[in-house]
Amino acid sequence: MYPRPIPENAKVQRALYLGGVTLVVILWLLPLLAVMLTSIRSNEELMAGNYWGWPQKFSLIENYKAVFEQTAMLRFFLNSLLITIPSVIGVLILSTLTGFVLSRYPFRGSNLIFALFVGGNFLPAQIMMIPVRDLMVRLGLYDTIYALVIFHIAFQTGFATLFMRNFIAALPGELFQAARAEGASPFQTLRHVVVPLVRPALAALAILVFTFVWNDYFWAIVLTQSDAVKPVTAGLNNLRGEWTSAWNIVSAATIFVALPPVVMFFMMQKHFVAGLTMGAVKG
Amino acid sequence: MSSVELRKVDKHYAGYHALKAIDLEIEKGEFVVMVGPSGCGKSTLLKTIAGLETINSGQVMINGRDVTEEEPGDRGIAMVFQSYALYPHMTVAENMGFGLRMANRPKAEIDAAVKRAAQILRLEEQLDKRPKQLSGGQRQRVAIGRAITRSPEVFLFDEPLSNLDAALRTQMRVELSSLHGQLGSTMIYVTHDQVEAMTMADRIVVLNKGRIEQVGSPLELYANPANIFVAGFLGAPRMNFIEAKVVSADASGVSVAAAGLPAITLGDIDASGVSAGDAVTVGIRPEALHLVERTESGTPAFSGQVRLVEQLGHETVLYVDASPLQATNSDSGTGNFTLQLNKVSAIGVGAKLQVGFETGDAYLFGPDGRTLTPRKPVAST
Repeated sequence: MYPRPIPENAKVQRALYLGGVTLVVILWLLPLLAVMLTSIRSNEELMAGNYWGWPQKFSLIENYKAVFEQTAMLRFFLNSLLITIPSVIGVLILSTLTGFVLSRYPFRGSNLIFALFVGGNFLPAQIMMIPVRDLMVRLGLYDTIYALVIFHIAFQTGFATLFMRNFIAALPGELFQAARAEGASPFQTLRHVVVPLVRPALAALAILVFTFVWNDYFWAIVLTQSDAVKPVTAGLNNLRGEWTSAWNIVSAATIFVALPPVVMFFMMQKHFVAGLTMGAVKG
Repeated sequence: MSSVELRKVDKHYAGYHALKAIDLEIEKGEFVVMVGPSGCGKSTLLKTIAGLETINSGQVMINGRDVTEEEPGDRGIAMVFQSYALYPHMTVAENMGFGLRMANRPKAEIDAAVKRAAQILRLEEQLDKRPKQLSGGQRQRVAIGRAITRSPEVFLFDEPLSNLDAALRTQMRVELSSLHGQLGSTMIYVTHDQVEAMTMADRIVVLNKGRIEQVGSPLELYANPANIFVAGFLGAPRMNFIEAKVVSADASGVSVAAAGLPAITLGDIDASGVSAGDAVTVGIRPEALHLVERTESGTPAFSGQVRLVEQLGHETVLYVDASPLQATNSDSGTGNFTLQLNKVSAIGVGAKLQVGFETGDAYLFGPDGRTLTPRKPVAST
């Protein structure tokens, strides 16, 4: 079966394998390394062509200070938070509701609705670029934060529903029957039984959606124009225009922008509790 | 007034008739056990009483109130599930108080109810633990406690002991019986285990293929099964059945014979139901078979060879090959007869022996499976 372990005594193969893995990992991390390195270099050094060598002078503080003092990154960062956090919350709430109903309360046409949610994921969202932009213009939401929040909630809920529906469907059915027999309303069941038990799923979904929305560049430039609403991704592009030669500042801004998804991951990590449903039912 | 009453309850699934016009009345404070093989509809019937399953036609009454259209939470029932169905993220106390909390009862009332239930079930030490920290027996007690706190009019148990090991099952059986005595509530208990049915029930309801086969006290059902299904279902080891032919049927009785068994006459039978040549079944319980020195004329007997011996200490179960005479529907499934002796026996495998029984102990089942033999006295308790 794949991947087959390499026997302990096959020294040559082991060395080759280790070498190959190391090479791939270095290649994989090289761009990140370059950005990190550049973000602590001075501009003069970059002009002089020292891209990969050891920095002669560390300008870590200066570069990052410049990001906040000389660019609008803080504004973009705030915009990104204003777009991403409501989107994530909206997606989590909607997909928990839809997932709960679709997994536990079958009704006429529920399978069709579920199929639509799933099928929608297969369409490349980009084909809706023009209609979505037109819609937002007509709604008077174009170039506002709402445009991006509404769009992301609408488009992420499809996948999120599939995710939550399957997770809730995997919970033991007798828990729901027990709650019902004890007089819990569907909403009480959702709040007191389902939500605590799907916490790991919600945490995973929160990270996925957060990362996707935070990193989105395409819809940011389709639906926004002014600096007052642009998220960080579109903002970084601005930076490049203004500071064509200041790659050290752009790199520092990039690192700054990449941090929130990492922070998000560590924040959500404690919710990944293995075997949360253990003890609910035997076996 | 009866506590639970079912009137012509009918339930269909797609292409499957799960419950066929079930009529049943359960008295207040009764312990009723519904028993039957898998797929007989017993769990479905329990869930229709709970309201977890809808019914296609008929009525469900609880305490004289028609609850057919009511939600489970409004029916005054509490259910204990086979898998316990405890909420894993809540403590034992939170689990037991869940129903009252959902009904927004004052905290003091919830605490008092939880404390009382914990006392009854000896769970005081466990109240702050989570279900996964408990043993199987404790979890089952928490599930029962969760039912008690709501002080329901009717307790519903869906095979609550089948996930426990044998020793714990016996212990919980006793505890449940004494709990019933203590609370005096109506309890309806579903199981496929006929030992649980016999030991716990005030009345047993035997179900088969979505129909009630017979309702009665355990000993009544044991002594006077209405048909071959009930006769075969209750009793361990199971009843021996012999497929036989009617030789003659008249006012003096019905005479039957089978290959390997000389004709025997069973008296006091209404012979109008059968006529000579009909295929009938003779049933004889393992404990009614005994060893005889030699075949005496007049008492039915056959000879056979021991194939297997089960020593249980206080009793011995022998599986006897009596070919050409075949026992159908026997425990061994090989056509061997099952004999139960109330003592330790030195008989070993391969021993040849004579087996006899009294005609008064035999049952006769007609071609349609109904019992033809007259009522037998029920052992008094």
